[in-house]
Amino acid sequence: MKTDRSITIIFLFLLVMIPLNFYLIFMVAPTEKVMGEVQRIFYLHISLAVGAFLALTGVFVSSILFLWKKKFIWDTAAYTCAEIGVLMSTLVLTTGSIWARPIWNAWWTWDPRLLTVLILWFIYIGYFLLRGGIADKFKKAQYSAVLGIIGYIDIPVVRYATKWWKSIHPLLTQEGGGLDPVMKNIMFFSMATFILLTIFLFLFRFRLARIEERLEIVKKRMED
Amino acid sequence: MNLIEIRGLKKQYHAKTALNGIDIDIGERDSITVFGPNGAGKTTLLKIISGIMSPTEGNAFYNNKKYSESEMKKEVFYLGHKTSLYNALTVGENMDFICRLFSINHRGESVKNILKEHGLWERRRDPVNELSQGMKRRLALAKGFMTDPKVFILDEPFTGLDLRWRSSILSKIKDIRSQGKTVILSTHLVEEGFELATRVAFLHKGRFLFIKKKEEVKIEEIYGLFDSMGETGK
Amino acid sequence: MRFMGNAAAILRKDILLELRGRESLSLMLFLSLLLLVIFNIALDLDKDSVSSLASGILWVVFAFSGILGMGRTSMAERDEEAYLSIVFSPASPESFYIGKALSNFLFLLIMECFTMLSFVILFDFEKIIGLLPQLLVPLVLGTIGFSLVGTLFSFLTTASKYGEVLLPFLYLPVVVPVILGGVTSMGMVLNGNAGGTWKWIQMLAVFDVLYLAVSLLLFRYLMED
Repeated sequence: MKTDRSITIIFLFLLVMIPLNFYLIFMVAPTEKVMGEVQRIFYLHISLAVGAFLALTGVFVSSILFLWKKKFIWDTAAYTCAEIGVLMSTLVLTTGSIWARPIWNAWWTWDPRLLTVLILWFIYIGYFLLRGGIADKFKKAQYSAVLGIIGYIDIPVVRYATKWWKSIHPLLTQEGGGLDPVMKNIMFFSMATFILLTIFLFLFRFRLARIEERLEIVKKRMED
Repeated sequence: MNLIEIRGLKKQYHAKTALNGIDIDIGERDSITVFGPNGAGKTTLLKIISGIMSPTEGNAFYNNKKYSESEMKKEVFYLGHKTSLYNALTVGENMDFICRLFSINHRGESVKNILKEHGLWERRRDPVNELSQGMKRRLALAKGFMTDPKVFILDEPFTGLDLRWRSSILSKIKDIRSQGKTVILSTHLVEEGFELATRVAFLHKGRFLFIKKKEEVKIEEIYGLFDSMGETGK
Repeated sequence: MRFMGNAAAILRKDILLELRGRESLSLMLFLSLLLLVIFNIALDLDKDSVSSLASGILWVVFAFSGILGMGRTSMAERDEEAYLSIVFSPASPESFYIGKALSNFLFLLIMECFTMLSFVILFDFEKIIGLLPQLLVPLVLGTIGFSLVGTLFSFLTTASKYGEVLLPFLYLPVVVPVILGGVTSMGMVLNGNAGGTWKWIQMLAVFDVLYLAVSLLLFRYLMED
């Protein structure tokens, strides 16, 4: 019940922060000189990426804890995080694509950062493909934990490899430093909002998953 | 002293509880036969006792040590429903591979003798997939004789065999017993299982109905239990 | 010593299995040849384009034939639960992993040499022969990466009802750095820019060491049912 209360509290915070965040992005933030209005999507794009990274770190940590403790609660945490990670990285790719259209005149650019997200998106889709094919509960948890660890370790390697392979993204490399102070503060606020949103989604989905699991057991007992 | 101790074992598959509340002590030279109808959880139990499957709850000890810290994987021989043989390799090559893993001289007399005892010496150059089902089972068991383990865990060793092969496997398991090994086997063949046992257990819906010394159980009782569950036990 | 002895026993067994069963390597070689033909039809390669595309084509063939072969060798262990005879032996899960990775490495390398030779013949591209010493380093490092990840993942996918079909979905995204490193550095060598390969060779080496360490830590968890 303690989690229920923290879910409510975070929800109330988000009720204020999300509209405020959009207000700041669309009304307060100055228009970027070179890219124009479309640059505003960046506040969301970067924040979503932070959220995705947080969720996938959650998969990694929960997977290690499952292999160590063998408690199914960690498996539930791992796949819950993975779902949020996939959702967020899908949105990262979508916002990236919307941004690229007017800037690069193409829906997709082989930007190393976007490519890294795309590849980790593939890895975590694979995570669910693997889970879908294993019937045994323990095996499913154990094997997907192994993949959850391997996949995460791959991210920095992919990042470096793609960076060396191609770098056509000079504008982004100076994020932070080159930004005007107002822009920077709005960016931080947006990130904070999305970190909180990720935590909220996790707690909410995790609670739901626990209820689902309990329901499943009750159902089975009634059948027997 | 107990060789294997299982405490408070529970195994949960997705929503189905396969085993629940299992405690069992297995001493050296014990021979435990686990009876039970199809789907009682015999295979799951034997897999957990052998350490290839982790329980959902409960602890397993070998020589008073947790499985993961013990030497059990070197001292246990497990034969499941499948033969654990490489079908494309010959009889000799399968044996040879095991010898290398156990650092046994693969050209030594002992290998030759074991193959001869099991009636496989003439077929040592034949690939395993050309052997009959009974021959394969016997070869699988012969591997156990070579590596000299302390514990034999045999899951339904008679299944799918005709009478002649059944009695041949039975006599081999008797040999194992006479060498002072610990044997844990599951079967739904009452006569064979009873003959080999020092202790008898009956598993039903994931729980032991009983686990007793052989002298305390009558064979008719077990037949009766199988009957009541719609199986014959033959 | 015991560790490598057990790994060697497993390698030896896999070579024997291949000689008797012809289930893995021969399929890989056949697929490589087929893919090269398909590439030629699809890309209509000529003398000029072949030089710039050679490295990419080769690595795509290596990756796909490799998946096929590594899926087969782990299925050979799961059929009849043969791997249990290794589990119940003094051989550690780690030596099992190294043994399987070694045999996968060997089969992959044979397939790759065969593919390059076929490439030379089919596309009249003799440059590869002369540059072989320089191509060898990225080739070997990339192949080590392929077999380290492939060995682990092919055991991972055997638990699934989809089996080997699942392997490319898990394996290909993770080995992207290997493919990038292999394609780029071999491409550089073939196009007379061997000096630029050092960075990529380092990257491949880092990948190999990282995945060796992680796989050795994680493989034992795939031996539990």
